[in-house]
Amino acid sequence: MKKTVLYVLVVSAFAGILASGLAVRAQEQGKEELKLQLPKPMFIGTPRNINSPNLEKITGKSRGAFFVPARTKLVSLNKPVTASDMQPVIGEVGCVADGEKSGEDGYFVEFGPGKQYVQIDLKASQPLQAIVVWHYHSQARVYRDVVVQVSDDKDFVSGVSTIFNNDHDNSSGLGIGKDKEYIETFEGKLIDPRGTKARYVRLWSNGNTSNDMNHYVEVEVYATPAQ
Amino acid sequence: MNKKAFAGLFLLIVLGAAGLRLTRLGLRPMHHDEANQALKFGALLERGEYRYDKADHHGPSLYYLSLPFARALGADRLAALSERTLRLVPACFGIGAILLLLFLVPLIGKEAVLWGALGLAVSPVMVYFSRFYIQETLLLFFLVGFIAALWRHQRRPSWAWAVAAGFFAGMMYATKETSVIAFGSVAAAYLLATLFKDRKEKTQAAPDKTRGAIGSPQADERQGFAPGKRLWMHLFLGFGTAILVSLLLFTSFFQNPKGWLDSILSFKVYFVRAGEAGFHVHPWSYYLQTLAFSKSGSGPLWTEGLVLILAVAGIVAAFRLRAKTVADRLTLRFLVFFTLISTAAYSLIPYKTPWNILPFYVGLIVLSGCGAAALVKAFRSRSIRALFFLLVAAGFLHLGAQAWRASFVYPADPRNPYVYAQTSPDFLKLVRRVEDLEAFHQDQEKMLIKVIAGPYETWPLPWYLRRFSRVGYWTDAAGASAPEDAAIVITNIEQAVRLESRLNASFQSEYYELRPNVFLVLHIRNELWKKYLKSRAEK
Repeated sequence: MKKTVLYVLVVSAFAGILASGLAVRAQEQGKEELKLQLPKPMFIGTPRNINSPNLEKITGKSRGAFFVPARTKLVSLNKPVTASDMQPVIGEVGCVADGEKSGEDGYFVEFGPGKQYVQIDLKASQPLQAIVVWHYHSQARVYRDVVVQVSDDKDFVSGVSTIFNNDHDNSSGLGIGKDKEYIETFEGKLIDPRGTKARYVRLWSNGNTSNDMNHYVEVEVYATPAQ
Repeated sequence: MNKKAFAGLFLLIVLGAAGLRLTRLGLRPMHHDEANQALKFGALLERGEYRYDKADHHGPSLYYLSLPFARALGADRLAALSERTLRLVPACFGIGAILLLLFLVPLIGKEAVLWGALGLAVSPVMVYFSRFYIQETLLLFFLVGFIAALWRHQRRPSWAWAVAAGFFAGMMYATKETSVIAFGSVAAAYLLATLFKDRKEKTQAAPDKTRGAIGSPQADERQGFAPGKRLWMHLFLGFGTAILVSLLLFTSFFQNPKGWLDSILSFKVYFVRAGEAGFHVHPWSYYLQTLAFSKSGSGPLWTEGLVLILAVAGIVAAFRLRAKTVADRLTLRFLVFFTLISTAAYSLIPYKTPWNILPFYVGLIVLSGCGAAALVKAFRSRSIRALFFLLVAAGFLHLGAQAWRASFVYPADPRNPYVYAQTSPDFLKLVRRVEDLEAFHQDQEKMLIKVIAGPYETWPLPWYLRRFSRVGYWTDAAGASAPEDAAIVITNIEQAVRLESRLNASFQSEYYELRPNVFLVLHIRNELWKKYLKSRAEK
């Protein structure tokens, strides 16, 4: 016991000498540690338990008008949909392009955790004018690593164009994206494909801020079909 | 039931309760309230500082009782504390509350205590909040101790039980000032239980077992007191102990003499809060509905209906079944009145949070134990009795499965009815990101972090950033001088919008969910971000 106490005293003495030595050295160089007085956090009671859909509007602003060429029409409705996870946890793959955009239960499909994609076959290659995606909007969420690719190759091996990518740390391995993360709202996210011609649209995501699952209420693809 | 069988079964229940309460205590992210309490305790641990705050955070017992746990686990400063160390405190008191039920054996019987202990051990709400670093489980423990000591004293008066009741009462008050609701319920229930007598009791003389009850001539003579004198002496001892205990804690062991007076003045604060239309106003049926039946969206079904049904049987047993003695009936009726009054009181107060279920629900659980025991005895046929026993046991097993689900599968999922303003698991990704970035900053844990968010969006950041020595907290961007000087800026959405023009060019931003529908934005200085990305690419 006495030995332990002695040992602690000796170690503390050495540590003290070392610390004062370092401080003296810093002072000798004409410098001293800048000790900032930073404000402390305010103690406060239990916050509100928010459990209502879309209670908080993040920006409160509408997206505004988006202009497309005349003759542009919805080309994704009831088109074949495939996915990386063909056995969803909730719902069916087909609901991605069934025209139902309600945020309630029963209108979305839930895919497994981690990186997953859905793919829509538009049946013809055509200039794409707008893609609108609703992942889930009964609660404010941010979906991670949203990447939207288009191609004429159904396997996305060749001729792949990435038209949206907000995977800023490349955690999904599809390349670093420069697009911003966004919070899901009932308006959906409008992505501008700038007339890129393609038959297939593939949308990736990698979980969300509420859980690790991937959801889709609806995806709409607008194009100007070839005459 | 023989003693060995009782001891064996009780031990099994305690072991089960410990398993549900002590494992994976760090699983759930720290709640806003837990982080507040943790920082308060950190000040006491590091600097011996504690001053009672009459505006919030309740009494001091949680902090003082956390000290031995922290020291035993070798934590001598805030940064060395972990979620597990802190949550061990309520977890142990949750187990302790079950052990205290042993004092009720002479009052309600072995079978009722066993069923009650089982209910307390596996109730989802009890398990969930036994793993939560707030005051409620401590209040539950001291309340059970207070009621047990009070009734043991009623049964066989002694100065030891009087002091024990005073100690538990003092600790209840030093845990939560709102314990006055429980004190009021106990007093009213005691009065009603003693006033209520059925026809048989009115004509019946007191049986032998009540001989020696406080104030009875036999007892006073035995102790050498003049009749009635002992009652006053025990009252003095009990009240004296209660006042001394609460005085010591509220005054921080006489370092803050005003503390005890402040605790009285806090009644005004809590009275206003209880009635005002704030965040936590819920209908009167909120607690009972949550316990009886709850289902949210695609989430599973939750019910503690079995306890409620058996509690009704316990109430019937208290008034209809012939207990052995008047004293037994008196205890049972007290439990009934206490449970009904406290349930009504908590339900009528508009301010409601799920952890406030505990102080009245313990009464329902003990009554459910009495109900189960009475029903098992009520069946004359052995096979029907065995079948009923198995059915109830299966019901309790289902409760245990729900407790597991609530605490281990859905600990932070809003579909769990006991999850309330809980920090989302996604928030831990923000913490991990900050910790990962620290390695790439020259100042490491001294890198400057600025948090600019309202107080409701700040917690539990101070807990998770406790290791970083240069973290400042502002509620508005206007007050935070040059946010762009920091390596990392954490804001709420509102402040992110305000700072957009100043941060966009030189910071990378990421969203994280603090709580459902509440986001934080993590802004990382571009140089730091690039270093981080480079290291990831190299890996």
